[in-house]
Amino acid sequence: MDIDYIIRISGPMLEGARTTVLLFLIVIVLSIPLGMVVTLMAKSTLKPLAWIAHAYIYVMRGTPLLLQLFFFCFGLPQIPVIGEYLVMDRFVAASLGFILNYGAYFAEIFRGGLLSIDKGQHEAAKVLGLSRWQTLRKVILAQMFRVALPAVANESITLVKDTALLYAVAVPELLNFAKTAVNRDFTVTPFVVAGVIYLLMTLVLTLFFKLLEKRFKFE
Amino acid sequence: MSSMIEVRQLKKDFGSLSVLNQISFDVKPGEVVAVIGPSGSGKSTMLRSLVHLEEVTGGSISICGKALVEDGRYASTANIRDITSRMGMVFQHFNLFPHLSVRDNLELAPRTLKRESVQQITAKSRELLSKVGLSDKADVYPSTLSGGQKQRVAIARAMMLSPDILLFDEPTSALDPELTGEVLRVIRQLAEENMTMMIVTHEMSFARDVADRVFFMDNGDIAESGTPEEIFGSPKLERTRAFLMRE
Ligand SMILES: Nc1ncnc2c1ncn2[C@@H]1O[C@H](COP(=O)(O)OP(=O)(O)OP(=O)(O)O)[C@@H](O)[C@H]1O
Ligand SMILES: [Mg+2]
Repeated sequence: MDIDYIIRISGPMLEGARTTVLLFLIVIVLSIPLGMVVTLMAKSTLKPLAWIAHAYIYVMRGTPLLLQLFFFCFGLPQIPVIGEYLVMDRFVAASLGFILNYGAYFAEIFRGGLLSIDKGQHEAAKVLGLSRWQTLRKVILAQMFRVALPAVANESITLVKDTALLYAVAVPELLNFAKTAVNRDFTVTPFVVAGVIYLLMTLVLTLFFKLLEKRFKFE
Repeated sequence: MSSMIEVRQLKKDFGSLSVLNQISFDVKPGEVVAVIGPSGSGKSTMLRSLVHLEEVTGGSISICGKALVEDGRYASTANIRDITSRMGMVFQHFNLFPHLSVRDNLELAPRTLKRESVQQITAKSRELLSKVGLSDKADVYPSTLSGGQKQRVAIARAMMLSPDILLFDEPTSALDPELTGEVLRVIRQLAEENMTMMIVTHEMSFARDVADRVFFMDNGDIAESGTPEEIFGSPKLERTRAFLMRE
């Protein structure tokens, strides 16, 4: 491996990494609140709402993410009549697929978090005069996030790696740049560089979540 | 106003299981009632019904002269909230909020309900923490406290909204024996300050000592009630005697 070569390809690869990071941020920022809403829907006493939430979670978790990405990028435009209005920028379409998929996983994680909260918490809050909404906001959600934090961290790291699926829908990102360089220059080095960049991203995430967990230890 | 709590023909079923059979009783202002009885006799269910943690099947409950439920029909949601807010409840397992500091455990409800100014609320939490002997623990999380300390925090938290009535469901049952004393001391002090209280307990000597009246519950009924002298000294019923022998 030669240092000059690594430096030369690092520029374009970091360019590709920008798309990776951008996708990651968009998906995290939107899928976590989505998961939250779906969790609350799943717990709703309005049966149709709960049913929709469960069906959504089931479909998103029960089919491959890659299939979902193909569906949004290449499938939607094929739908008769309305298809032509559903042609989106690849990146946007893929982001949508990621958000919906991760939203379902986060919903499932949060649901587990809710289940772990003792019913005594609800009772204490009720006897203290808090409404159900106040109880949810001030007592339940904070505890739910705390319980869910390790699983959220895990899921986030998986997301970093899943961004490589953009390759399959031909959105240029980190892996795409690496592959191009490998084919062009007949060397394995770009793959190694890509690996190191992924590792750096997951390292940052790991440290960030460690910090969060420490901050919200409640001790 | 003659009664703080007035209960008539209270009935509660869980499915086909009848847990409270037409219970009636009154609690007067400043009175301390100890509730004893075997496991499964309905003590918790009765207490929980008073604060609407259980929806009763029939009968009436009035708190400070206001009907929470009348012949099985509940007041409006707003009225229920208003009526139950006159009562504080202390649970066997404390049910402190683990994500909040001790001070915030006390202040969460009053700050959320905004009936008093922030200054009033902070002054009150400081005063109550000192009253239960935990001034130095205001900033720590509940997980760092002993059971006895947790329960004293729970009592202080229940007092924050200045309830007219305090209900205790086995406040010392989850504690190591050497920690019950500090909690019972706080409850005894409240009794001396004429707080109206109902206390479900297995601590017979405490019940005898602090209560004005004792209810012996059995099989969903208040089988026998009377002064501690009557219940502990000369119980009328054979099953009361049998229960007291066992305890
Ligand atoms: N949510 C519920 N669903 C069904 N049955 C219940 C429920 N809660 C209580 N019960 C039943 O009601 C009966 C009375 O229970 P309760 O908890 O009031 O008794 P208790 O006198 O407080 O007993 P302990 O001394 O063990 O606390 C028991 O048979 C119990 O199994
Ligand atoms: Mg009980």
